Amino acid sequence: MTSEDLRQLISSGEADRVELTRAAQDNEKFREAICAFSNDMAGRGLAGYLVIGIDENNPAYRLSVSTEMLEKLVGLRSDGAIMPLPVMNVSRVPHPGGDGEVIVVEVHPNDMPPVRYKGRTHIRIGPRKGVASESEERVLIERRTANFRTFDVTPCPEGDLERLDTETFRHTYRPQAIAAEVIAENHRDLPEQLAALRFYNLKRNCPTNAGMLVFAYDPLDLFPGAKVQFVQYDGPELADTVLAEKTFTGSLITLLSELDSFLKGRFTQRPVAVSELREQAVFDFPPEAVRELLMNAVLHRDYQSTSPIRFYQFNDRIEIQNPGGLYGDASPENFPRVNAYRNPIIAEAMHTLGYVNRFGRGIARAQRALNDNQSPPPSFDYQSSHFLAIIPKHLQR
Amino acid sequence: MKTLAFFNNKGGVGKTTLLYHLAWMLAEMGKRVLVADLDPQANLTSMFLTEPELEKLWDPDNAQDQSIMAPLTPIIRGLGDIGPTPFQHISSNIRLIPGDLNLSNFESNLSEAWGKCLDRQEPAFRVTSSLYRIIRQAADSFEADLVLVDVGPNFGAINRAALICADAVVIPLAPDLFSIQGLRNLGPTLTTWRKDWRIRLTQNPAPDLLLPEATMQPLGYVVIQFGIRDSKPVWAYEKWARKIPSTFREKVLSLPPNSITSTVDDPNCLGLLKHYRSLMPMAMEARKPIFKLKPSDGAIGAHSKSAKDSGEDFRDLAEQILNALDKRPE
Repeated sequence: MTSEDLRQLISSGEADRVELTRAAQDNEKFREAICAFSNDMAGRGLAGYLVIGIDENNPAYRLSVSTEMLEKLVGLRSDGAIMPLPVMNVSRVPHPGGDGEVIVVEVHPNDMPPVRYKGRTHIRIGPRKGVASESEERVLIERRTANFRTFDVTPCPEGDLERLDTETFRHTYRPQAIAAEVIAENHRDLPEQLAALRFYNLKRNCPTNAGMLVFAYDPLDLFPGAKVQFVQYDGPELADTVLAEKTFTGSLITLLSELDSFLKGRFTQRPVAVSELREQAVFDFPPEAVRELLMNAVLHRDYQSTSPIRFYQFNDRIEIQNPGGLYGDASPENFPRVNAYRNPIIAEAMHTLGYVNRFGRGIARAQRALNDNQSPPPSFDYQSSHFLAIIPKHLQR
Repeated sequence: MKTLAFFNNKGGVGKTTLLYHLAWMLAEMGKRVLVADLDPQANLTSMFLTEPELEKLWDPDNAQDQSIMAPLTPIIRGLGDIGPTPFQHISSNIRLIPGDLNLSNFESNLSEAWGKCLDRQEPAFRVTSSLYRIIRQAADSFEADLVLVDVGPNFGAINRAALICADAVVIPLAPDLFSIQGLRNLGPTLTTWRKDWRIRLTQNPAPDLLLPEATMQPLGYVVIQFGIRDSKPVWAYEKWARKIPSTFREKVLSLPPNSITSTVDDPNCLGLLKHYRSLMPMAMEARKPIFKLKPSDGAIGAHSKSAKDSGEDFRDLAEQILNALDKRPE
């Protein structure tokens, strides 16, 4: 975008596509604008622009743009407050009034609306800003891209509402995903409630793959690989004696909570000598690192594959392997800086449930946990069809 | 920027838990909040930080002292004035000045200085205003909208020095005999401290020294039911709750009695916090306020909904507090 484009955009008077603001601090307002542009209520199919550094009442005003400001704005995309993840980019553009700069946040209409911020679907119609009514949300749901971008939003005709744990959806999931006042004025039936969160396809009248994976009591017949297989060996190789085995199955909600309970208390701290005089308590495997890399596997795995996630504990390392290599824009050259989501709806669900805090931080958190524990760093092996994370055991344990 | 202290001279009512939750709620409402833990018990600090972080913070072998003791050490040793304030990044809108068990060592310096202020001694004023200046330093550099100060449950010199930092004081109460008894001492003590500090202000020999005004206006009380056990019948608490409005009015605000006997109708009641049952231990384990609990923390089924609902209670309370702060007579 040039400052000429920007000038035209500002003078176009399309209030639902442009927001001009003076200061770079108002995250609340920015997030609402990003959410509303993502929803593109007017259905123009055009990007919306948040322009920071223009004061309509004071043409002489200039904002001194810093790299830190830009980074903060980029961070708004991935902290999980806006779901599903917005498609946006942040750039510096010369101020249309000459000298100085403005920040432009370009937000593309999301192909999976309704997009929510803090459980509310923000929209703009002309100059009006607000929260979508039930009928407006329905319009957004119907507008979803007909060609399904990802496997998890694809309808699952073999799936059936009867198979879903709707109790958990209503009482556990929905209160976390939707603002209370929106739930209070609710006149929607269950398929609509599920569809609003991308777990159901109203046109085909069946759950989506994500709906089945997250909520079906037993989705294994449809997704034979949707399980985590834990094996502990008494040595460094697969040929060694098996000490323990456990398979985690069921809806993703059940599987994740069982996996979490399993990890609690599995790894222990013991003091080791760090110098002549000092001891420090260290883990054989820091649980946080194991957890992050397991969550990573559940989030990024290819659910069309019949292979499970393999979680193998050897006497010198843990291997966590999932089907599906690096996805989309992610490549061995840019891993883990660039991340792309094979399963955006599963990612959203894991964030809503609290298993993911921020997007794109899992690997870094695992590395930090190992570093704090004075363990060697993790290593990664990416093939075209699978991804492997290796967590080395602490050398003195 | 406003400084708000949370004070009750009877311990164990849930004051620190309340402050912790309010800090998170105010941050969620877009306020920049600085939290200062001036209670030598340092419970608030241990709510915000993990075990390993606390170990690093209070490690005697670690010269990198990162608690409130860092800026105080030169003053305690008599080697100079306060140093720079360390504070911990808790979230984008929350910073914490960590507390320290060793803060209790400062008690004697403070008591001594309080008396010496009357002799127009500049060092005494530096000591007495040190906590205030440490907070101001951190609040200015973080550009805080609000400072929340946690103080211990007693009338000692540390608490006096901490409370004179405050523009306003929130008093958390449990509906029981001890809290009512506590109010009878608390009101007069605040008045005395305010008066005594005013007298000292006229004796300050160093006009360039930043000194607190010590408004300490009692903003109101919060009734906390965290600690209520199910074993006692409800009426036992009702009886005490009915006494709170008049006792607060007479003993804390020194106003003539009126006929209000219900905290619900009392303009001095900032809010009432329920007993959140099993959510509170869950929140402490997850190191989150209860309204941020997720299914992954164990908030499932009915818990998921009540965790969400609790956010409303804390939001109402935070709004009441902000309104009361705005309405204060300047």
